[in-house]
Amino acid sequence: MNTKPCLTLEDCKKIGAAAQAEARKNKWNVTIAILDDGGHLLWLERMDGATPFNAQVAIEKGRSAAVSRRTTKNWEDRVSAGRNALLNMPVLPIQGGVPIMVGAECVGAVGVSGVQSHEDEQIANAGIAALG
Amino acid sequence: MSLNKEGSTRRFVVTSLAAFALSGLIVSAAIAQVPPDPNNPNEAVPEKHTYMPYGETITLAQAKKVADAALAESTKRDWQMCIAVVGPTGDLIYFQKMDQCQFASVSIAQHKARTAARYRRPTVVFERLLGKGAFFSYLPTLDDVIASRGGNPIVVNGKIIGAIGVSGGTGSQDDVISQAGAAAMK
Repeated sequence: MNTKPCLTLEDCKKIGAAAQAEARKNKWNVTIAILDDGGHLLWLERMDGATPFNAQVAIEKGRSAAVSRRTTKNWEDRVSAGRNALLNMPVLPIQGGVPIMVGAECVGAVGVSGVQSHEDEQIANAGIAALG
Repeated sequence: MSLNKEGSTRRFVVTSLAAFALSGLIVSAAIAQVPPDPNNPNEAVPEKHTYMPYGETITLAQAKKVADAALAESTKRDWQMCIAVVGPTGDLIYFQKMDQCQFASVSIAQHKARTAARYRRPTVVFERLLGKGAFFSYLPTLDDVIASRGGNPIVVNGKIIGAIGVSGGTGSQDDVISQAGAAAMK
């Protein structure tokens, strides 16, 4: 039987704290969502000033990245390149969702929403970097 | 099949009569009322509208304080829970899932919090009323009700600033953790 790594709440809080620090450093108000590799919500925080809409989008970006094992930027780029059929896939193809890889295994994803898409991704990456 | 003229006329008359009778049934059903039952407590019209007012939306710092108090209580008792904190409108502000909590609770915890906020009452109210019997069986037909304890409003200075929802154990365990969280703002 194979075993695979899995995120603990402690890991989530580490990722979340680093992501929040990156957002605060830039005075950005965002929602940060962390999901497991099946796209189930593990941890979420909506900073003051971020909207309920941001919370929905952050979860959806994170879920998309988790289940597809790709950044949502990857999806967005392929749609932008003209592959319109991908809009029928059950993912949100908008930058800001990043899978969390441990070796070759995807253990979950971070989804961020609240500022510009590339800034959302910057926050997600800062969070994942804290995992070491 | 071919029909003579007389046959088709008779059929027309029979069909018309049937349609007339049916429409009469529908109209009388629309007008008919079920008489009030004197034993039904829902027939009473209270003079006053009693409610707790909404306040300003809970801040993230306050939401974390509530969720962390709930997490501490849950950890102390070695219970595995999902904990959700929402604003007065029921929109999610903070969420955390403990490592061994069942997956169903991810959405149930959010639902309990949302219902407690939007109906500005603990979800145990719905659970208890449903248990009272048939006169309260209308409750789960209301939008987005969850009739299970574990959702509680977060109250500051007599105003509801949000709600906490907890799921993962028995309803009674969930409510202990939920109330421990809400108490952090008192």
